[in-house]
Amino acid sequence: MMINFDAIAVGDAIPVYTAAPITRTQLVRYAGASGDFNPLHHDETFARMIGMDNVIAHGMFIMGIAGEAITSWIDNKYLRKFSVHFLGMTQPVDLDDFENTKGRATITVRGKVIEKYEENGEKRIRCDIIAQDAQGSRKLTGFFVVALP
Amino acid sequence: MADKSKLGMEFPLYSIKVAENKIAEFAAAVAQKEDTDHIKEIYRDVEAAKNAGYENIPIPPTFPTSFAFWTGGGLLATINAVGADLNKLLHSEEEYEYYAPICAGDVITRKMKVVDMYDRGKPGRKGWHVQVTILETELINQRGELVLKARTTFMEK
Repeated sequence: MMINFDAIAVGDAIPVYTAAPITRTQLVRYAGASGDFNPLHHDETFARMIGMDNVIAHGMFIMGIAGEAITSWIDNKYLRKFSVHFLGMTQPVDLDDFENTKGRATITVRGKVIEKYEENGEKRIRCDIIAQDAQGSRKLTGFFVVALP
Repeated sequence: MADKSKLGMEFPLYSIKVAENKIAEFAAAVAQKEDTDHIKEIYRDVEAAKNAGYENIPIPPTFPTSFAFWTGGGLLATINAVGADLNKLLHSEEEYEYYAPICAGDVITRKMKVVDMYDRGKPGRKGWHVQVTILETELINQRGELVLKARTTFMEK
């Protein structure tokens, strides 16, 4: 989508992006796709060994979902910077208890424009971004910068 | 705990060719699609990518972290090289600066080094004392252009 710098105002929200409930199968798919085979993300016996109840999603999977949210709005080629802090962990949905566990596994990404400026001869906007589950628990916060025509 | 003598350490250089099907696989994973037929066109169709202004199929924004996982022995070798313990590790921050697109067919050389190591919090206080390690990665393409810089921060509890 082509978005014009002049049409954007500080305070504008980026389109809200809600991901599907994260399943263990998706964690395995992300592990294979990214090469991040930390057993914490697919092997419950390892998770228990380090004192956790469950496997958790890769932080980078959540950041990847946030990247999807951004590039569903603005083309990849305009992205100049993308920076996040990881906060809460995300447990996948339990397929045998879907209704009770889908909230913790459903990530929504929100953001808004916080600055318009010129840099390196480009018109740029800086947006903050946050990913939360359906219970309001924060998974990551950060910002991204895009150059706009 | 990470070995602070590793501060400043440069990892060996590795080069890797960006594979089209690997981009599609990654795009499917982060878009939570069951197959690569349902990802955005620019990630699966060269013509669509060219029409959108890329030289070839581009990578998704967080794909660059994978260069570290596919080279140099992957996650465990990287962690072992700085003396860190996988059982205590948390990825706490990730930052990318994008200088130019990375596309299928590019040959990317990864330059990674340990740029900071420090303690945060009070020793002895559980949950309040962590050791922070920051890795900086530069990705350089086959034309010698710096295309991306990444900073990866992890903490050990």
